[in-house]
Amino acid sequence: MRIVIAEDDSLLREGLALLLRAEGLDVVATAGDPDDFLVAVDEHKPDVAIVDVRMPPTHTDEGIVAAVTARRRQPGLAVLVLSAYVEQAFATELLASGSARLGYLLKERVGRVQEFMDALQRVAAGGTAIDPEVVAQLLARNRPDNRLERLTPRERDVLAAMAEGLGNTAIAERLFVTEGAVSKHIRSIFAKLDLAPDDRADRRVTAVLHYLEGRRV
Amino acid sequence: MSTQEARRWDLVGRLRTTVDAIERLFGGLTTSLLAIAALVWLAVTAATCLVGMGLLLLPTVPRVLRAVADRERGRLSRWGPEIISPAPAPADFRAAIRDATVQRELGWTAIHATAGFALGSLGLTVTLWAVTDGTFPLWWYLLPADQAADTLGILPVNDMGDAFLVSLMGVGWMVVVMAIIPIVARVQAWPGRQLLPPDPASTDLALRVAHLTATRAAALDAHTTELRRIERSLHDGTQNRLVAVNVLLGAARRALARDPAAADAILGNAQDAAEQALTELRGVVRTILPPVLTDRSLPDALTSLATTSPVPCLIEADVPGRAAASVEATVYFAVAETLTNIAKHSGAKQVRVLLRRDDDRLWAQIIDDGKGGADERSGSGLAGIRRRVEAHDGTFALASPAGGPTILTVSLPCGS
Repeated sequence: MRIVIAEDDSLLREGLALLLRAEGLDVVATAGDPDDFLVAVDEHKPDVAIVDVRMPPTHTDEGIVAAVTARRRQPGLAVLVLSAYVEQAFATELLASGSARLGYLLKERVGRVQEFMDALQRVAAGGTAIDPEVVAQLLARNRPDNRLERLTPRERDVLAAMAEGLGNTAIAERLFVTEGAVSKHIRSIFAKLDLAPDDRADRRVTAVLHYLEGRRV
Repeated sequence: MSTQEARRWDLVGRLRTTVDAIERLFGGLTTSLLAIAALVWLAVTAATCLVGMGLLLLPTVPRVLRAVADRERGRLSRWGPEIISPAPAPADFRAAIRDATVQRELGWTAIHATAGFALGSLGLTVTLWAVTDGTFPLWWYLLPADQAADTLGILPVNDMGDAFLVSLMGVGWMVVVMAIIPIVARVQAWPGRQLLPPDPASTDLALRVAHLTATRAAALDAHTTELRRIERSLHDGTQNRLVAVNVLLGAARRALARDPAAADAILGNAQDAAEQALTELRGVVRTILPPVLTDRSLPDALTSLATTSPVPCLIEADVPGRAAASVEATVYFAVAETLTNIAKHSGAKQVRVLLRRDDDRLWAQIIDDGKGGADERSGSGLAGIRRRVEAHDGTFALASPAGGPTILTVSLPCGS
């Protein structure tokens, strides 16, 4: 897996590169600002880009803008966005064009290396990785219908895991249940939320996220 | 019926006006006594000036005048259109006596101490006559037999009939009082109304309002900038360092099984990052409000600041008491920022920081022996210092001829 890192803090940039290389991944370039990052993407054609949200010059959402640009220039580029804090608007902006090959994680998740590697692999393989914090915010949001209240606590856990982008196997591992039970929960959730059931993980995530964001698919 | 009623009401209105006017005259008499006291103080100062000691008292004269005049302004504002207090008189005596407002206050004091006093006494005396004569039948028999007479001593009183005659005179006096007192009160107030409003030539209120509006906006702006700076330094510094620590710890744990030696090196990096985080956090906290400033005093805070200055720095502070925390913090940052500037740009070998308190203003002067030529438009922190200082209604003056020395002077109202 070929990776480009865009992160303006040099210590963190080097730390990430060190971590990923130690895991046997191929960090082909690192960049400290959006321009360098786009040049590196053009030059190295990586599989995955890991991008910090706040970068020079204004330290607001340069990372998001750069990630969207990079994906336009290189369709199929997987992007994992790292952020120091959860910003709903960033997530919405990122997910506007679907959730495939996309990740949005808090920076501190990187420290849980195994989970971070799983998320990275998932994104690189065409899946999604949404930070539990983002999902929690989406779930806590007020929405006009109250269909979420029909879910059992267990189904809410499954819904949250689905929204994070986990596949059935991963959900089953996390919740210590069988995959069959997960499938059953998912069918029940889709029925209760009036969503069309879909077995493909990425479309499923999109549907769930869109539902949580208050938009219908 | 209706005309009679109207006349009766008119009488009531008239009485009310008179009582009002008596109250005003009495107030005017009080301030005229204060004006006399001010004149006496002026005379004492002038006399002692001859033997030199009065020179020390000179600066108090404009302040005494201002205090008395402000009292009259307050009194007149209660009875008519508001008279706004002018801007504070210049602290320097020479500038103060050239100040038009101070001159007018002096003129008013002289008039009010004489004419104002005379009018006030006259009006109240006549009123007193009306009262004593009017009530004469009630208490004349208490007087010694041969001394009983009306207030002017025209009509000797021997029996109740005479006493009632005197009370008729009292009614006459009352009529006089009702006729003239309102006019006397107006005349007494007239010099104040003419002389005490702020000199339109020297105080443009519109300009002052515009300045206050601008500085308030600057205060809000400075506040937002300050919050942004804190947020930025926390995010870019401390938070990123901690994330790095987290990442490195994660990497170290993973490396532990594979290659303990590599894990140790990574842990070393993690510790470095943690130390940096602490250093940066300390830096941020210090710039929010230096603990020493809240725990100790501004001179102490500046002294500890001086020890960290790369250019040798001498603090000469003479400030009794404390000023408002925000004022002290602003002075502290003005000095801190200036010292940073000096270290970066001036090439100075020595800095002196003078700090003193003059009545209700805190002054700081930073003098360096560097190459001069400092310019607040050159993007150094000077413009920021000016904004912060002016946001507190303070003054900012920079003198930096090419070749040096550079002198920065800021002053702020203490707010306490």
